[in-house]
Amino acid sequence: MPRYAMAIDLSLCVGCAACAVACKMENEVPPGVFNLWIREREIGTYPDLVVEFRPEQCLHCETSPCVPVCPTGASYQTQEGLVLVDPKKCIACGACIAACPYDARYLHPAGYVSKCTFCAHRIEQGRLPACVETCPTFCRTFGDLDDPESPVSRALKEAGRVDVLRPELGTKPKLFYLNAPSKKGLTQEREVHHD
Amino acid sequence: MTEFYGLPNAGEFWHWTNLLHFILVGLAGGMAFLTALLHLKGHPEARRYTLWALGLIALDLFVLWAESPARFRFTHVWLFLSFHPTSPIWWGSWGLALSFVSAGLLYLGKGPSKPLAWGLLAFSLVALAYPGMALAVNLNRPLWNALLAGLFPLTALVLGLGVAVLMKSSWALYPLRILLGASLFLAFLYPFTLTLEARGHLWEEGGVLYGLFLALGLGAFGKESLAPWAAFLAAAGLRALLVAVGQWQGLGL
Repeated sequence: MPRYAMAIDLSLCVGCAACAVACKMENEVPPGVFNLWIREREIGTYPDLVVEFRPEQCLHCETSPCVPVCPTGASYQTQEGLVLVDPKKCIACGACIAACPYDARYLHPAGYVSKCTFCAHRIEQGRLPACVETCPTFCRTFGDLDDPESPVSRALKEAGRVDVLRPELGTKPKLFYLNAPSKKGLTQEREVHHD
Repeated sequence: MTEFYGLPNAGEFWHWTNLLHFILVGLAGGMAFLTALLHLKGHPEARRYTLWALGLIALDLFVLWAESPARFRFTHVWLFLSFHPTSPIWWGSWGLALSFVSAGLLYLGKGPSKPLAWGLLAFSLVALAYPGMALAVNLNRPLWNALLAGLFPLTALVLGLGVAVLMKSSWALYPLRILLGASLFLAFLYPFTLTLEARGHLWEEGGVLYGLFLALGLGAFGKESLAPWAAFLAAAGLRALLVAVGQWQGLGL
């Protein structure tokens, strides 16, 4: 059974947002909410300046905090490690939205919680997620984490630096950020305030 | 400087209707708990309280249904067709439903009253406990920490006892003041259990109101006629405020 994961090489991302547009189109995401967005952050002052374009979405955490709090089982994890929502079981109580540390979930206007699925419907057909297929700089790789020859495993092996968002929470995200532009790793909001 | 293309889904997800539920569920749970105790003691007021408990649980369940964006999809049935003991809301739905059933049987005089009263006591405890647990499990929200798992049941009992005093049950004033004292102690302690950032956020977004509710609570130890109102408003206000302000994710991203 594969264990799907995604890696984003931040040294290649130019923040063009083609992935965000492709996601909106592919998943028919309603206006005002997002499965995927780009966080652009500038740290420091010229010439000591770092600009980070960081695409964010559901991280399909290995120990996802959103799944156990769901009272109906609408939020669940597949055997392939995808964290999905079954709209037919969702009561829109918001417990999973509260539990998600990454602001990845939102209330769909149709009355259920929704989020990035890593394009599960495309994976089923043997295709790549829309964001991966669309990226013009090929900064995104996707595949089976347990297969050492998969594109994502190779990208992780070859990366100079690998980071995940909020590692201190122990959620074990399966969305990895490679080669962050800052030597300290991914930027954080608190750093912006202190600069 | 941080800018976005698209936006993280960082807005408020629980609105005033949810805040109302957090007050009503405390009131309903508190009243059900008092009802169970009165039945176990064979108190003459037990029947009157049973009706109040039934009404408040029904009102809370109605509010929950009416405010739910899924209200006409009838997915709530899955709460009772699935087994998810890791979810405080799953426990809460069973606690409220079984409290309603056992209070209903007690009111109708159907079934053995002592076991039903013990059952109501247990189910109402679940209903009292789950809102605080539902907040405290979110380790990512720095304002919702483990202390809320204690503060919410206590304020729920204060809400129930506040109504009891207003219903002219003189026995309720003493426990009301004791439990309000315990609630206020935890509420005073609460800001010191937060990180510096979280305390700053609480201060900025609700500091004045928080102080006002604490002062109002202290007012319950003054004039007897104002005590139930002051206690009720302080407990309700603290519950609603902590839910509203606590939706903040912190600065980790």
